[in-house]
Amino acid sequence: MTSDLGQYLSDGELGVDGWTAALEDDRLLGQACPDCEHVTAAPKAACARCGSRDLDPVELPEEGTVYSATRVEVAPEGFAAPYTVALVTVGDARVTARIDADVEIGDDVRFQGATESPEGLTPLFG
Amino acid sequence: MREATIAGAGMTRFGVHESTLPELFADAALPAMDDAGVEAADIDALYLGNTMGGQIEGESHLAPTLASHVGLAGVPCQRFEDACATSSNAFKHAVRAVEAGHHDAVLVGGVERCSAATGRETDEMTRIFASAAHGTYERPTGLTFPGVFALLTKRHMHEYGTTEEQLAEVAVKNHYHGSLNPRAHFGKETTVEEVLEGPIVADPFHLHDCCPFSDGAAAVVVASAEVAAELDCDLVPVAGVGHATDVVPIADKAHPSVTRSARDAASQAYETARIGPDDVDVVELHDCFTGAEVLATEALGLVEDGQGGPAAAAGRTSLGGEIPVNPSGGLKAKGHPLGATGVAQLVELTEQLRGDAGDRQVEDADVGLAHNLGGDAATTVVTVLEAAR
Ligand SMILES: [Zn+2]
Repeated sequence: MTSDLGQYLSDGELGVDGWTAALEDDRLLGQACPDCEHVTAAPKAACARCGSRDLDPVELPEEGTVYSATRVEVAPEGFAAPYTVALVTVGDARVTARIDADVEIGDDVRFQGATESPEGLTPLFG
Repeated sequence: MREATIAGAGMTRFGVHESTLPELFADAALPAMDDAGVEAADIDALYLGNTMGGQIEGESHLAPTLASHVGLAGVPCQRFEDACATSSNAFKHAVRAVEAGHHDAVLVGGVERCSAATGRETDEMTRIFASAAHGTYERPTGLTFPGVFALLTKRHMHEYGTTEEQLAEVAVKNHYHGSLNPRAHFGKETTVEEVLEGPIVADPFHLHDCCPFSDGAAAVVVASAEVAAELDCDLVPVAGVGHATDVVPIADKAHPSVTRSARDAASQAYETARIGPDDVDVVELHDCFTGAEVLATEALGLVEDGQGGPAAAAGRTSLGGEIPVNPSGGLKAKGHPLGATGVAQLVELTEQLRGDAGDRQVEDADVGLAHNLGGDAATTVVTVLEAAR
């Protein structure tokens, strides 16, 4: 798909380090399975639907739709509530992300880049 | 294949306990052994459920410690860990071992301390519970456990029109049931208004849509039918156990609010027991949040998809209703010491099927079903028990 993803790959595969490095560059990467067409925003060693190891690293679209969202008011240690966590549909994948706006299911949102948390980097939409 | 039975059952009150894990475990394990009429020498193995003891109390390698404390030193021991489905997974393996003839009698128990008596504040405990979510793709978002079920429930509300009032009705029902259970963490009834006026934890869940942080232990003795027949016990046959998982993280599940693993585990358990949802008389299911109960009643086929909320509001799932769900009060009112929860469901069903459940007894209960869920709706174990004929 996108030709300049090589810098994020290790032996041609997208791992956690590459996914996180891309997020640091405000890019959201995923994997597409050529066998069953499942697309994930949470890269794995094999396809979660069919087990295929022949996965293509892809750059996911920046435009998304809120699939579900919740405003967390009792937060884990280190996080400052309230904030919104959502499942966002981006193309054929779904991503777990933070949202910097009040949203309803079905709202259009756009990838804003990465945001930092005590547990690591996470995609931000708004 | 041999038939496995529950020969004895015991559990502590769920709530706040100052005692250590071995002491708490003994308060469930010894009564279970007494109830089965077995001595320590009759027990072949310990299958233990404890999920967060390492993180909460700095306790690892717990099974041999607990075995030694209750007089079972020397037997093979193993600790199971599957988030909140931990002890029903231990139970499943004990059933398989007895069915296969590896063991004749196994002590299966779960113990956990999650209350503030552990010295952990709410935000610390929230962080520890969230460790059951995916470390790279979920935890950095600040997703909490209430948050996981909130995402599933919000989608369900969007698809079916389930309302916050209907969710609150689940809490009202389970608090009423809990008021009839002397072992429940909460013995007090609540109202829809009280639930809806409570502070938000993760919307749509208010404080009283959520189960408490509880301490407690539960245990059963799983024995072969042949061995159980020789004991002075009121045995309850295990008719079927199903166990399935779904994709992690939740974003990758094909249809998150459908709770696929519950449907798969239920169909396995129904098939093994040769029954369908209509044959079930009493249900203990994993209502860690009110929305989780709505999703589970549908996944188990007890009500039609989309009808979980209206069914609770109409009293269909109450004691005296067509399919009583969580007569114990469930996780919501009885409490949720993670590693003890699965076996505690089986203790409740054992009492129901023996006709020993007192004020919360379901009339003519012959078939009981337990549903125990773990992690971000990834693991589910479903067990069918049948009254002895
Ligand atoms: Zn595939």
